Parts: sequence; C-alpha cells; structure tokens
Amino acid sequence: MAEIQLRNIGKRWGSFVGVDNFDLTIADKEFLVLLGPSGCGKTTTMRMIAGLEDATEGDILVDGQRVNDMEPKDRDVAMVFQSYALYPNLNVYENIRFPLRVRGVDPSTHDEKVRRASAMVELDDFLHRKPAELSGGQRQRVALARAIVRQPNVFLMDEPLSNLDAKLRVSTRAQIKNLSHELAVTTIYVTHDQIEAMTLADRVVIMKRGVVQQVGTPVDIYDRPANAFVASFIGNPAMNLVEGEISGGTFRAKHVEISGLNVPDGTITLGFRAEDANVAESGGQINAPIYTMELLGDATMVSVRIGGALVSVKADKNYRAEIDETVSISVAPEQCHLFDATTGARVGS
Amino acid sequence: MATQLETRMTPVKAISFALVGLWLLIAAFPFLWTFWGSFKVQADFFSKADWTNALWGTNTTEETGGAFTGAGYHGAWITEEFWQNVINSGIVVFFTVIISLTFGTLGGYALARSGFRYAFWLLMAALVFRAMPHITLVSGYLLPFFEWNIWGHLPTTIIVLVAINQPFTLWMLHSFFLNIPKDMDESAMVDGCTRFQAFRHVIVPVMWPGVITTGLFSFLLAYNDFAVTAMLLSEENETIIPAINSFLGTTQVEGKVMYAVAAVVSATAPLFVLILFFQRQIVSGMTAGAVKG
Repeated sequence: MAEIQLRNIGKRWGSFVGVDNFDLTIADKEFLVLLGPSGCGKTTTMRMIAGLEDATEGDILVDGQRVNDMEPKDRDVAMVFQSYALYPNLNVYENIRFPLRVRGVDPSTHDEKVRRASAMVELDDFLHRKPAELSGGQRQRVALARAIVRQPNVFLMDEPLSNLDAKLRVSTRAQIKNLSHELAVTTIYVTHDQIEAMTLADRVVIMKRGVVQQVGTPVDIYDRPANAFVASFIGNPAMNLVEGEISGGTFRAKHVEISGLNVPDGTITLGFRAEDANVAESGGQINAPIYTMELLGDATMVSVRIGGALVSVKADKNYRAEIDETVSISVAPEQCHLFDATTGARVGS
Repeated sequence: MATQLETRMTPVKAISFALVGLWLLIAAFPFLWTFWGSFKVQADFFSKADWTNALWGTNTTEETGGAFTGAGYHGAWITEEFWQNVINSGIVVFFTVIISLTFGTLGGYALARSGFRYAFWLLMAALVFRAMPHITLVSGYLLPFFEWNIWGHLPTTIIVLVAINQPFTLWMLHSFFLNIPKDMDESAMVDGCTRFQAFRHVIVPVMWPGVITTGLFSFLLAYNDFAVTAMLLSEENETIIPAINSFLGTTQVEGKVMYAVAAVVSATAPLFVLILFFQRQIVSGMTAGAVKG
C-alpha cells in the first residue's frame, strides 16, 4: 500500500534547473512511466523519490507521510538500476538475499523468500553463479529479483531494459508487465523509449528540460498530445508536423491544402499520424513528389518533403511507386492535430 | 595448439630471446653477486688484488677452511643484534601500512564520492605534498621533535612516514574508488544499508585488490625509507636500512662491511617472497580500470 504525492518538487544545482515544479499524485498500485529525452529530469525525479537526491523544493509524501528527510533505507523502496548494480563478490543467491540480510529480516525466512523471488524471474538454475558469469538478461533478472524479494512499498526502475538487445528487451518487457500485475505494487519506471512507456504504463508523464509536458494514459497521450513536443516524441514514426497558415478554416502550406478545420486564422503547426493518412489515386489534400519509400513488411512507408519536414504515410503493403513521382495523400481534417506555431501548445479540440 | 609457424625459430625471435636473456642477466647480476659474496670474507668480496677472488673465495678458504662462510650473517644477526632492527622495521612498517590504509580508504572513498569542489583541491594539495622530497618534512620536524623530547622513538617515525605516504594512498585509493560505479553504493543504500554499511559490505569487498596494492606500495615505502629513519631514530631504535648504513660506515674496520652485505641479503629476501605471493593482486591492482569488465 503506497500512494505517493509529489508536491511541487524541484531540483536545482546552482542556477541549473534539473526538475521544475513537479506536482503529481501517484495512486496505490499504479504503474507510472516517466518518459522523456535524456537530460529531461526523469531520473532525477525518481532519485528524489528514492532519497538518493535531495529535493531542493517541495514535499514528497508516501501514504501521507513526508519522507524528504528520510534516508533511502527508511523509505521502503526498491530500485532497479540501469547498470543493474549487482554485488560482484556475491553469488546470485546472496545478491537476492542482501536486502533481507541488511534489514535484519528473520533469517529462517530468507531461503523461502529468495527462492520465491528467483522463481518469479526464472533464475532458479543460476543461484550459485557470480554476476560475472551471467548474461545481460540474467543480470537484469537478478536485479529484479533483488528488488521484489522483500516486497517493498514502491518499485523504482531506472531504464532497466536499455542495456539489453532488442529481442531480449521485448521479452523482459513482457515479464515486467506480468510481474507488476502479479505483485500489484506502486511502480515508477523511467525510460526514454516511448514503446516501453506505451506498453507498460497505466499513466505516462512526459518531461522535457525538467518540466512536465503532459500526464495521461498512453491512449490519451497518443490520441491527444498536449503539445507539439509530445506529438513528435510519441509514436513510431513520430507524428508528421507541417508549418503553415490557416485562413477561413483552411490550412495551406506548399503542396498542402486541408479544409474543414475549425480554428481562428493565423500561423499554425498541423500534425497527423502516418497511419491516419492514406495514399489516394488523386484529389488528396497533399500532392507532392515522393522523397523516399520504405518497405516495412506489413506496410509501405511513403515519405514526402514539405518545407523542411519529412511527412510519412503508411500505405498498403503492395503499394509501389518511384521516387520523385507525384503522390496524392488524403488526410481527414478530424484526424489533424493543431498546435500553436510559437508555443507548440495544442489549439482547438 | 602450437603450430609449426609458432614454434619455428626466426632470426627476429632469436634476437629477442637473446636481448631478454642479456637484460635478465644484467638486471639480476647485482643481486646474484651480492648473494654469492655474502658468503665470503671481506678480503675476497672487496678484493683489490683480484676480483675473481670473490668468485672462488681464495681468502675465505684460507681464513675459514671452506669456500663459503656464514660469518657475515653470524656477525650481523648475533653480534650486532640485527634482529632488533628487523623487529623495529616490522613495527614501523606494520603501523605505517595500517594507519595509511585506514585513512586512505576512508578519505579516498569520501573524496571519490563527494560532489564538492574542495575534493579536487584537497587532491591537488595532496599531490603537492607527494611531490616534495621526503627530507624536507624531516628538517621541519626535527627541532620540535627535540624540544618535545620525542626524537628517536618509533612512533614519531611512524607518524612522519604516514604523513609522507598518505598523499599517495589517498590518490591511489581515490582512483580505485572512482572505478567502482556509484550505482553500487546507491543500490546498497536503497536495499537497506547506511552509507557506512554500504561502504563496508559492498564497496570494501570489491576494493580488496586496490587495498592490497596500495598497502604493498606503502609497505615498500616504509621498509625502504632511509631519509626519515636515519634522521629520526636513535641508534637502539634503528630500522633495517639505517642499520645497514651504519655497518657500511665502518669500512676501515675489517669485518663489519660483510655484516652489511649479509644484512642486505637478509633484507631483500622477504621482499622477493612478498612480491611473488602478491604478484596477482599487484598486477590486477595496477591494471584495474584500464579495461572495464
């Protein structure tokens, strides 16, 4: 049971702002993902919750109790580090047992707890090995087991998958999702990978330069990005963003004309997702020469250049065309997202 | 498997082997020569007439009736009570190493983990002290030591040797600690350790090669020191090196020089054993951090 409240917390190093005015309540048993590019303050936020970094402003509350001045060991959190941080002189069994040992948990229960935790991450056969004799994925699972062995109030995971190869990342991701469902413990997960965020999170917090950009469910964030930064960060490929002018409800840029948009006149950034547009025979809203074609297997990605931006559209997997051939792309106005050209904030509904 | 190519003796290989062999001979010669000569009498080992006397022991045979004699060893160890100097050396070396390592590990860890700027300046100051000739420390201390009436005692020398050695141990251990990721302490702290428990249970066990290497260099410094021990110790408290020096200082009197030669061999032998015993730790310590494992 742990509800975490972050009340306007901030972290400054001299004049440098690491995290600015972070205000959020994380519900009990929630899986929260902090997402953003490197240097956005997501790891700092997590480290402040763990107690490894002091918040220079605001209060951190766990179940209503202020923990700002508590040592990490008294906060009852468990953390998985990006580098795993296993103890190289101890074997897997002793690594997993370490938190029990230093916390003075009744020694007669250690064996059962270690075995249960190692079974959950399928490490039973490796208990006697030293970390140096394990593969990256196995080390990662030892770190997970060490975190779950004493059933903490809160799990903190700092980019736990970023050192694994692509294939292992997918299976471990699934394992973490399953574990978090089984354990039902409040989890805060830091990543820069938007796919991890989308697949794992109950809610996602997107940060940029220490400032929270948007908080919402993955669907929210994907379907209604709060600003152009979120729109360009979430989704693969990123949302297409085109600069242009709106007058009388019609968006115009070179090669582009989309009407039926219900916003005031002015300069604007228009965005739409690759899968929300189609390649048409003719009469589409965008008519431009093809810049590149990429065969993805399940679809063909057709890209054109508008202004400086690359605009990609997912076409049928059998679609073929030559580079420099003019292609016609249809985009429904209701699939378009509009952002203020200067602030990047979402405009209209 | 050794292929034919690897086992074949090429001219380059032959020259390399010859050079290495020659170097080995030149490098080992002083040791072997001293070792051999330590079983001769002074008339042979320091023979002005014919240097080959040292090889064949002409005078040794004349004087003692055999080509080898233990007279030098007997004189040094029994007559001159060299064992007392060995015990003194043991005390000085032991405490210098223990004290240097205690401060060095704690201080090196603190400096490695500190985010403050003064950590850098402390290390810079340590480097300056490291660069100073040892004798400068002694000249400064000499007068107060006389006035406080603590000159000539072993603890005084230990304090000065620690002062000389500490900058080095701080630097060396500091760089070892820097090679241990910070995540490790933090992980231990989240797992339930205090800062000190994290240091003791997690960092120190990983640090052993570094501690042993640094300890060994501290040992060698204290063991081989001459400037400090010669100036600060009274005759009855002398350690090995100044004792050997005083044997050598009496070349006019027949016999005592051979005590020095025997004492030198006695003083070198434990070093060989030590280096052979710890060579794995020394090598791993010296190359730690070169490659990230």
